[in-house]
Amino acid sequence: MISVGARASAGRGRGRKRSPKPIEVQFRTIVSPHQLNSPWGRRVYWLVLVAVLVLFTLAFVFPLYWMATGALKTPEELAQMPPTLFPADPTPEAFFEAWDLFDIGTLLVNTVYYSLGGWVVCMAVDVSAAYALSKLRPAFGNVILGMMLATLMIPAMVVLIPLYVTVVDLGLLNNPWALWLPAAANGFNIFLLKRFFDSIPRELIEAAQIDGAGPVRVLRSVVLPISRPILGVVSIFTIVTSFKDFVWPLLVMTDSDKMTISVGLSQTAGAVTQNQVMGGLLITSIPMVIVFFIFQRHIMAGLTAGSIKG
Amino acid sequence: MSFLRRNLTAYGFLCGALFCFTVFAWYPMVREFILSFQRTDLINEPTWVGLDNFTNAIQDPAFGEAWLNTLEFTFLALVCGYAVPFVVALVLNELRHARAYLRFVVYLPVMLPPIVAVLLFRWFYDPGPGLFNQVLDAFGLPPSAWLDSSSTALISLVIVSTWMNMGSATLIYLAALQNIPPELYEAAELDGAGIFKRIRHVTIPQTRLILLLMLMLQIVATMQVFIEPYMLTGGGPENSTVTVAYLMFQNAFTLQDYGSAGALGMMLMIVLLVFAAFQLRLTREDKA
Amino acid sequence: MQRSTGLLLVTALSLTATAACGSGEPATPSASGGAKAVSITVACQPAKSAPKERQAWDDDVATFMKEHPGVTVKSTDQQPCFDPKTFGPKLAGGQMETAFVVPVTNYADVIAKGQALDITPYTSVIKNWNDLRADHKELVTKDGKVYGVPNVHYSVGLVYNRALFTKAGLDPDNPPKTWAEVREAAKKIAGIGPGYVGFGEYSGGNTGGWHFTQAIYGRGGDILTPDNKKAAFNSPEGKAVLQTLHDMRWVDNSMGTKLLVGWESLMVAMGSGKVGMMLGAPDVVTDVVNKFKGNVADYGITGFPEAKASLSGGEAFMINPKATPEEAKAALAWIDFRFNTVGKGRFDFARGKSIGNPVGVPDNAVYGDSPTGQALQADRVKNATLPVANYESYVQAAGTIPPKAEPMHAQELYAILDVPMSGVLSRKDAGIDQLLADAETKANSMLAAKG
Repeated sequence: MISVGARASAGRGRGRKRSPKPIEVQFRTIVSPHQLNSPWGRRVYWLVLVAVLVLFTLAFVFPLYWMATGALKTPEELAQMPPTLFPADPTPEAFFEAWDLFDIGTLLVNTVYYSLGGWVVCMAVDVSAAYALSKLRPAFGNVILGMMLATLMIPAMVVLIPLYVTVVDLGLLNNPWALWLPAAANGFNIFLLKRFFDSIPRELIEAAQIDGAGPVRVLRSVVLPISRPILGVVSIFTIVTSFKDFVWPLLVMTDSDKMTISVGLSQTAGAVTQNQVMGGLLITSIPMVIVFFIFQRHIMAGLTAGSIKG
Repeated sequence: MSFLRRNLTAYGFLCGALFCFTVFAWYPMVREFILSFQRTDLINEPTWVGLDNFTNAIQDPAFGEAWLNTLEFTFLALVCGYAVPFVVALVLNELRHARAYLRFVVYLPVMLPPIVAVLLFRWFYDPGPGLFNQVLDAFGLPPSAWLDSSSTALISLVIVSTWMNMGSATLIYLAALQNIPPELYEAAELDGAGIFKRIRHVTIPQTRLILLLMLMLQIVATMQVFIEPYMLTGGGPENSTVTVAYLMFQNAFTLQDYGSAGALGMMLMIVLLVFAAFQLRLTREDKA
Repeated sequence: MQRSTGLLLVTALSLTATAACGSGEPATPSASGGAKAVSITVACQPAKSAPKERQAWDDDVATFMKEHPGVTVKSTDQQPCFDPKTFGPKLAGGQMETAFVVPVTNYADVIAKGQALDITPYTSVIKNWNDLRADHKELVTKDGKVYGVPNVHYSVGLVYNRALFTKAGLDPDNPPKTWAEVREAAKKIAGIGPGYVGFGEYSGGNTGGWHFTQAIYGRGGDILTPDNKKAAFNSPEGKAVLQTLHDMRWVDNSMGTKLLVGWESLMVAMGSGKVGMMLGAPDVVTDVVNKFKGNVADYGITGFPEAKASLSGGEAFMINPKATPEEAKAALAWIDFRFNTVGKGRFDFARGKSIGNPVGVPDNAVYGDSPTGQALQADRVKNATLPVANYESYVQAAGTIPPKAEPMHAQELYAILDVPMSGVLSRKDAGIDQLLADAETKANSMLAAKG
């Protein structure tokens, strides 16, 4: 796995300019440290930095600010032109209304339940499969892995209809297994896990086997503890993906008391006022933003692991 | 361990995955093929209808438009969603301050459920009190119809799509850029290469593999665009945002014509597979 | 032992799957005491966002179960009650309600596919069966067999906001009778100020095509030729529909700037009290008030301008084809109790009045002029919370304008007709002849493909 963190190369290329506050260069990039710390380079650098900061904040943070403040305004204030930058009289009422109208309590509980349940199923299925393919090496193991990876070439939307028809045939509509089992058929997870398991030294496993450990104990007490980082990455992505999913739950979880939050919002958003919609969206966003705050490093590390996908 | 015992154990561990893959991944691919030659309404036994579904799908009034729109969307999404993140990553990689903050905010929209981004932008695009027209107005610019005009609807969808997806591409490029050996830049500099030459002769060749890979992933992802037209435009105005995936969904779930939907899915699958094979060859040649 | 763990896992998985499978089957009636116990599920419980309505429904369920011992009623509150997306799959997966609602657009399809039970032997359960409109009963009958109980029937008129009429200096008691007057009124309402819309109209999500059909019927045009083989909307009437809309949108600027996609969009706008007029049946008034927070007294309805015919709409209850005779009878008894009894269930106007419903809107003509219909009307007027006079002109017009059914392949045609509607409403330079000609070509090839 490639870490996103800075490639530390202490000493080399560090700006040695005597001018006040040289821009520190930890690692060499396109622009050379000399250019960067030349009088013009410094000016351009600060200009670009400020521009990028402002632009990014406007592009990615301001919409969310607008969403949050939108929820705090009254419908009348929302319809006002030009709009107000700050809510004139912030009131959290829209959150409570949204909570009731969208039935967000039920929807959130559903979504969390589906995500966590899906995670358990997915990990159980994918970890044991990757372990078998990596360490137990069955006959035709490579063929099976190849076929699993081949599914990555087929985008989800393309097999949506036949998958749906299959689930209907099995009578799994409005049953969480309709979300969990297809999600467990994840070739990419198995690939990532297998690649990590492959890197575990043979000696460790053989040592455990000499102590009389069977395959399950080897998995539990040798492989899994070593694999904590990759398990973390796979876990987070599995949970986040299932929390974000829209089309599939839209099709298979149709009962209003079994819907996920995304689907529930989409069904009711047309019938309520704009500030209530924003309140609902904000409440929906909060769990994911919290997850992001906590697991930021794992997520970013997993992303680069993900770049080998395909 | 004997050969037999080892295999039994291994398949014991594998059978969960084999079950899931067989029923929910491999079989649906086969089923797609079967489906596209049958009339299926989920109530009565399916009947074989030969190529009827394909003729039906092709004769659909929106068939041509859907493909053109999908291609146009893919093209626009590539211009925005492929080039923009690379440039952004290049710039971010040069910055020495606030890196953690910038990485955090660019990825933030990716974390949000797509429905949040879509509903948020639906409000921004509102031609009256919507944020975008109000901003245009503040700068004394004329308002735009955004989603409500056949000339701007598709690009409006691309903007939403780029906003909510570009974070992951940016961070992946950023990681790739950080893996370029600094010696290469130093050597290029000694050869007297300017900034743009360094990008052309060092940065791009060094990240070529990841660029190609991302190109493929992007195309595959954007070809299946669905939630944006489904939630924002309903395919309109004047069918300008009907995509193949959207048409497939309409066929199956508004008209209960699962066969035609399956036929459309087959066509989309074939197009994407041909493209993927082409791409794979390109990548392989590149490696050689 | 260890090697079996994986096996165990998969067995557990498939067991759970089959168990879940089993639970999807309709409950089998079990004998208890003297009467056979029957459990039915019924669709269309009002959503949680309409708590009073929902309470009234729940009360009705309790009353019904007390009167019919042995019958257990479970309600579902999916909104809208009929969702084409989930209809087939729910039926296939054994999750369809025993009694479900089908809109008139989908009757033919549902009946042709065998998705509704033949209820000919049980129609007597509906006590007022003979008083239901004959022309609507015709629509749920195929080859002499009855497949549904007509539940709602209406024809289209012009819904308008009386408060806005007053505000714009128009006479709310004298609503427009011609399209020229509609245009005039729309212009005045839009002139009240920014954000006000004189005339609201749909342009997408199949609702555009639906309202085009309402408008062209009103002008005496047609969607299909009488033999249903060719499109007939590329006509002077069709052009007039689009031309009027185009002129209101771009010349008068009286239609707002936002394209309205999907049923809810115009309803929300109407409920917000800033839209002056729209085409719609009286149920629009009920929905705008109940679901979209409109102020009851503000809305009036009048006859369709210059009407030559009127698109009739409505819905019927149908019964799950997998239902047992006992279940079917119990479900029909529920439909009879809740939906077809004077003074009970939905026709309990006194209760409607007490919970603040807009009573007095002539939103259902399913009993027409029959004795039951007259009794309902008398009861409705007696408990009216609204000035019934606001709807008088609609009622009079509805009596004289001939009703006209939806075209064959309505959904496919509506999708095609969305295009010209969104065309004139989104492009100032839209070529109406071209739009109609294109739509005609598309419709003809669709009709040819469907045979």
